[in-house]
Amino acid sequence: MIDRVRGVLSGRARWYDIIHTWGASTPLSFANNRFHSITERHNSGYGIRVNVDGKTGFSYTNDPSRLAVTAERALALAAFGDEEDFELPAAAGSGFEPWDDAIESFDTAREAAGAEEDIAAILARFPAATVDAGISRYAGGMRLVNSRGLDATFRSCRYSASLSATLIMDDGTRIDASESMSALAPAAHPELRETIIRNIGNALSVARLPSGTVPVLLTPRAFARLAGIVLSGLNARSVWKGISPFGEKRGERIFNPSLTVRDNPLAAGFPDGYPFDDEGVAAADKVMIGAGRIERFITDLKHAQKLGIPAEGNGARGFSSLPYPSYSNIIIDPGMEPREAILAGMGRGILVEQFIGLGQSNTITGDFSGSLELAFLVENGRIAGRVKDCMISDNIFRLLAGDIVMSAERERMGSVLAPSLFLPSVNCTG
Amino acid sequence: MPAACAMHDAVDSILPSARALLSAVRCEYADIRLSDSDGTTITLSGEQVETFSSGATIAGSVRVLCGGVWGFVSFNDPGRLERHFSRALEIAATVATSEKTRIRACAPVRKQVVTPAERDFSLVPLEEKFALISSYNGILRSSKLIQTTRATYRDVRTYCAYLNSEGSEITYDRAYCGVAFSSIARDGAIIQLFHESVSGYGGFELARGREEMAEGVARRAVDLLAAEPVPGGTYRVVADQKLAGVFIHEAFGHLSEADFVHENPRLREVMVLGRCFGPEGLTVIDNGDMPGLSGYIPVDDEGVLPGGTRLITNGCLSGRLHSRETAEKMGEEPGGNARAISALSQPIVRMTNTYIENGSGTRDDLLQAAGDGIYAVGFIGGETNLEMFTFTSGCGYEIKNGKLGKMYRDMVLSGNVFTTLGNIATIGGDRIMYGGLGGCGKGGQSPLPVSFGGPHLLITDVLVGGRHD
Repeated sequence: MIDRVRGVLSGRARWYDIIHTWGASTPLSFANNRFHSITERHNSGYGIRVNVDGKTGFSYTNDPSRLAVTAERALALAAFGDEEDFELPAAAGSGFEPWDDAIESFDTAREAAGAEEDIAAILARFPAATVDAGISRYAGGMRLVNSRGLDATFRSCRYSASLSATLIMDDGTRIDASESMSALAPAAHPELRETIIRNIGNALSVARLPSGTVPVLLTPRAFARLAGIVLSGLNARSVWKGISPFGEKRGERIFNPSLTVRDNPLAAGFPDGYPFDDEGVAAADKVMIGAGRIERFITDLKHAQKLGIPAEGNGARGFSSLPYPSYSNIIIDPGMEPREAILAGMGRGILVEQFIGLGQSNTITGDFSGSLELAFLVENGRIAGRVKDCMISDNIFRLLAGDIVMSAERERMGSVLAPSLFLPSVNCTG
Repeated sequence: MPAACAMHDAVDSILPSARALLSAVRCEYADIRLSDSDGTTITLSGEQVETFSSGATIAGSVRVLCGGVWGFVSFNDPGRLERHFSRALEIAATVATSEKTRIRACAPVRKQVVTPAERDFSLVPLEEKFALISSYNGILRSSKLIQTTRATYRDVRTYCAYLNSEGSEITYDRAYCGVAFSSIARDGAIIQLFHESVSGYGGFELARGREEMAEGVARRAVDLLAAEPVPGGTYRVVADQKLAGVFIHEAFGHLSEADFVHENPRLREVMVLGRCFGPEGLTVIDNGDMPGLSGYIPVDDEGVLPGGTRLITNGCLSGRLHSRETAEKMGEEPGGNARAISALSQPIVRMTNTYIENGSGTRDDLLQAAGDGIYAVGFIGGETNLEMFTFTSGCGYEIKNGKLGKMYRDMVLSGNVFTTLGNIATIGGDRIMYGGLGGCGKGGQSPLPVSFGGPHLLITDVLVGGRHD
């Protein structure tokens, strides 16, 4: 079918590319302590991008019988496009696939039994809790064809599990704890329920903390959410638009030297990797922030050309959208100190597990306000109750430039591998 | 764009097969949804054309309730409907469960609905759509302090069909259109943005005549450059109509979604009908039957007609939002709130058009009543965990002796839902409804078009995040 489209486009476009994505997933859903539904999702689609007289047009469909019409639409829309003068790659990277044949061992009955065990374990400890669980298998792939002769395909797969529990206290307050994991193939995940049981247990009593500045230890998950504010500033599209605070700072050390962040689509075992990006550019492991210094911006082909920087495999798109710069797997270097030692030495402070509402404000300049959905008061190295009805508000750029400590241990949440982060002084309103 | 009749054909040609499968099925319940969509999106950013795309998608799903288990299959090859239907039955049988799901039976609904439009956007030349959004983008860039902009035009025409094993059959030729505007202003290291969006069901007229909205976005973004960060603390807050709407959507609307309540004994105690949460004048309604608004539905995605549900009447809980499943579980009536973001997703309990009814009084009356406090205007985003909520207003102003003072930025408000409802001191009489190109997110289905609104509200003791230095 794609060959027919090539025929439509041949000689009528300066360049073109066609992306074909497909996939099938099988999510199982447990709600309110019991099995709820089993789903099978099939999805596929085609996106056609053309460059005519230096201008780009785009159209898409998920109906293969409409491909020729879709190609004609893309050609017609090019008249409205911007001047885009970049070239497409002639060859893609190869030799890497985020794929494990063991994904085929996914067994719905076994997974359902495992989720029931998780739910039973949480209910045994907290009988009044309500537990939701989700387990899913995904297998799919992507093929990219372009006018320079590139024709490359790779498969991808993912096994994922999530578990969340809610406990409503006598006074109507809620404790919500949730955990998730992902891998290339089905894997045991007892740590999800163990963490949830521990967090709910720690949250049963509420501690008060007056407004002011306090030491804060962010778990890897909480750190990953805050790091997202910084990383969005390293997006080449923001830099090109002049709204990145880091646009003029490449090569400058603006964070603590202990902060090193990489983007690596080729990281082994991560389910979100790829051998080449959605424009066919070979994937590369690269340092974004090296020892506190801004090293590079994440980019697609369009913005690489505009900024005069190399494209290194970060053009992302679904079949129904144009490419845009996007991270793959984000890997933050660990520190030297064990997390327990940081906790023991932080004095009276807050351990943050989960934010609510973070990132929904204007964070371009690094300012943020995050309500604490699940956080704990730490006193003398021990958890001394839950901190509630409290927001931490500060500037993440300023905090990361200060005296920070990263833990030696790291955890992977989806596509982010991060340590815990200690911040000695953060504004807190409660 | 394919002609409307081609879109109809792609769906209508499958209907005989769908009817045959549903009439022969031996399950508690089954439904089939099919859709064919065609849409155009234009996004301009600064001087760039960021996106000019147009495309078509076909989608479908089968949902069966067999042996008390839901089986759901979604696809984009409706020509293989029989295979997908069999597969839904097959996967539902793979898991045995001791506690079976039951749903409320409903009378069959048979109707054909077409969105009325003054001017069908399918017939508007692309050049005209491009010229319109370009003119708005010009307004958004009207100050030298504007660093960049984002102006989006979107239209989507969808022809969809819903059929179920009870004999319901509904087709809906739906036209959705809107625009979204952002301006980002910059003065040295200070970068501020403002955003507005509008959408609804209708024709190209929904996108036209929005010059004043674009001017307001550019002006606010520039004004925010001189605004101060709000000092953190607890304030008396006057919320404008949009923020009042977001507040009731985020803080109470989600709590009224019965899928969060129906199997949680503690939450059922908290949310018992008749329990009073707010002042006597507080009445909150969700109503999907408000044609034109972003949350309008002629029928929900389980074939239930929207009736309008009074969630709070005179400060006390008087209703909640249901799917057939939650209605059956709680012994209440479904009100048409099972919605799916597309034919590829399962319906879950969602809001439609949610609002606080008018009280009396003007904005100035509320500012006077506040004395000292903060006037919070518009919103950027919001989130709730059903006890706590947090939302960010577009900007704010100091209230001093009942008068507006200096402008504030970075206004993030947070609180406990029940405490805050109880802290509503005054309800104005100037309700406005809002719905933009974005929407509501839940269960991985986002953005679902909704609208929300209310009059100005005076709320006491609201936690506002900010520095103390």
